[in-house]
Amino acid sequence: MNRGNRIALACVYWAFVLYIFVPLVLMILMGFKDSKFIGFPIRSWTLDWYISIFSNTEILFTFGYSILIAILSTLISVIIGTWIALLLEGRKFWGWAVTFGLMVLPALVPGIISAIAFRIYARWLGIEPGMGAIVWAHAVHNVPFVALVVMARLSTLPKSQVDAARDLGADPFVAFLRITLPYLVPAILGASIFCLLLSFDDFVRSFFLGGYEETLPVLIFAMLRSGMSPEINAIATIALILTAAIGVWAERFTRRTNKESQP
Amino acid sequence: MPQDGTAQKSPDDIVPPLSQRTFWGRMTNWNPYRTLLDFITASPRRQFIILAAFPLLWLLTQHLGPMLQMARVSLLESYPVAPGVQEHFTIENYLRFFGDHIFWMPFFRTLTFAAIFTFCTLILTYPVAYFLARHVSRQNQMLMLLLLLIPFWVGEIVRTYAIMILLGNTGAVNLALKWLGLIERPIPFMYTSFSMGLGIVYLTALYMLLPLYSALEKLPKSYTEVAADLGAGAWRRFYRVTLPLTIEGISSGCTLVFLISTGFYATPVLLGGPSTTVFAETIAGFFHYAGDEWPTGAAFAVIMFGAALLITGLFQKLMKVLRKGDTK
Repeated sequence: MNRGNRIALACVYWAFVLYIFVPLVLMILMGFKDSKFIGFPIRSWTLDWYISIFSNTEILFTFGYSILIAILSTLISVIIGTWIALLLEGRKFWGWAVTFGLMVLPALVPGIISAIAFRIYARWLGIEPGMGAIVWAHAVHNVPFVALVVMARLSTLPKSQVDAARDLGADPFVAFLRITLPYLVPAILGASIFCLLLSFDDFVRSFFLGGYEETLPVLIFAMLRSGMSPEINAIATIALILTAAIGVWAERFTRRTNKESQP
Repeated sequence: MPQDGTAQKSPDDIVPPLSQRTFWGRMTNWNPYRTLLDFITASPRRQFIILAAFPLLWLLTQHLGPMLQMARVSLLESYPVAPGVQEHFTIENYLRFFGDHIFWMPFFRTLTFAAIFTFCTLILTYPVAYFLARHVSRQNQMLMLLLLLIPFWVGEIVRTYAIMILLGNTGAVNLALKWLGLIERPIPFMYTSFSMGLGIVYLTALYMLLPLYSALEKLPKSYTEVAADLGAGAWRRFYRVTLPLTIEGISSGCTLVFLISTGFYATPVLLGGPSTTVFAETIAGFFHYAGDEWPTGAAFAVIMFGAALLITGLFQKLMKVLRKGDTK
């Protein structure tokens, strides 16, 4: 390919990077503006908005509440997703394709429809809107991501390792705990981080299944509807840094372990 | 000390066999464990049933259950059914959809917008994915891809808010245009289909980029080199070799982005205006109240999911036909 093309494509790439980053950078900058009025230019700077957040117990509670929901739903998703992956990977049985289709279903249903379906089902099951309902909906929604990641990892496990353990006298359960499970750990960790972030960032399910306490995205949404303020920027910036840092760390971690485990 | 140990050894404390010393040894020799294991592994059939029972139960009750219950409620005359009253099934809720343009207008608007936004995302990200996969060394590829993944971890609401700040009347774009002397009064970007589109493309771009990138990365460079040797120009090489061989990536990226775009609720509420009401807002409207409107809301959700599945299904069929036609 000639040079001109290459340069043009590089320009497109960097323009895309700008498109992705500029709005976020501007939003972060606005959180340091010394005025209640959102808009450019920024003439003087302040840290007051951050100080006011850290002295506001309601907002701090919302952070904790969101994190707790993320952790609980992730625990459920990881256990069930791994179990489903063990059933589906490397096995042939009647109805395999249907089972696989059912497994990915929650990931394919558009957000609003998924939220509505969970809302109706929660009512039918008698689950009150609130933390339990949100944890449940997030857990169900995240199961497919865990199952797919674990299935991919499981498919690279040499069958000879489990066979060797069995030949040496390990029963199926011990072989699973000592050979298969340790091999799956990087995938499970990667998937957990992904689920944590999905749950922490989720708006639509938390909005329709939430009770009186709000999760962080729901709180930001409610604040935005009543007007913009640099305080929202400060909250959003903290959430952004938290999620981006965890995401980058997880990305590096999974890449490193993938490299190590390659023969 | 170890020397003393061997000297004082008496017949009473013989080292127990290996199977008694380790945790695993003790566990596997524990009687209840053995009984349970023997029960489970009595036959391969029983082993499979015990492995499969819980996942299948979960899939049926948690993955399929909500969708089926939504479909059932959509056919009910009223919900919740009053105690002691027989459930009444009706298609009234579906007919309501066709009866009023404030219902089907947002529906068609949503599908049109989603299709347009999906196309824009494809056009925008294809060159980016192409550049990453073909023109960047393998080491830098990972770094440059990771750079794009960072904002991907940031939530929907935060990124929507970032777009609001970018496009507002005192936002960065208007400020820049004014500074350049191009405009005198700010352009009202916000609360239009433009701001909504920009926001949705911003949110979905990476769902398109990743499938495209992995399709392009798999395509060997030698294919286009051979085409070049045979005298094909740059455009012809792209149109006859690269594009047909990455149709799978295009197809899965578009399907994903289309499904996601139809499901957005917060972004259209925050970035759109009264003239850009999407169907998600219509559906949500039925659920803000106690519940007497739920069957209609459920029916509308079923209509929307059915339409989205139909469109993506047809689209994938079309892509398959295109691919077959090209390899002939």
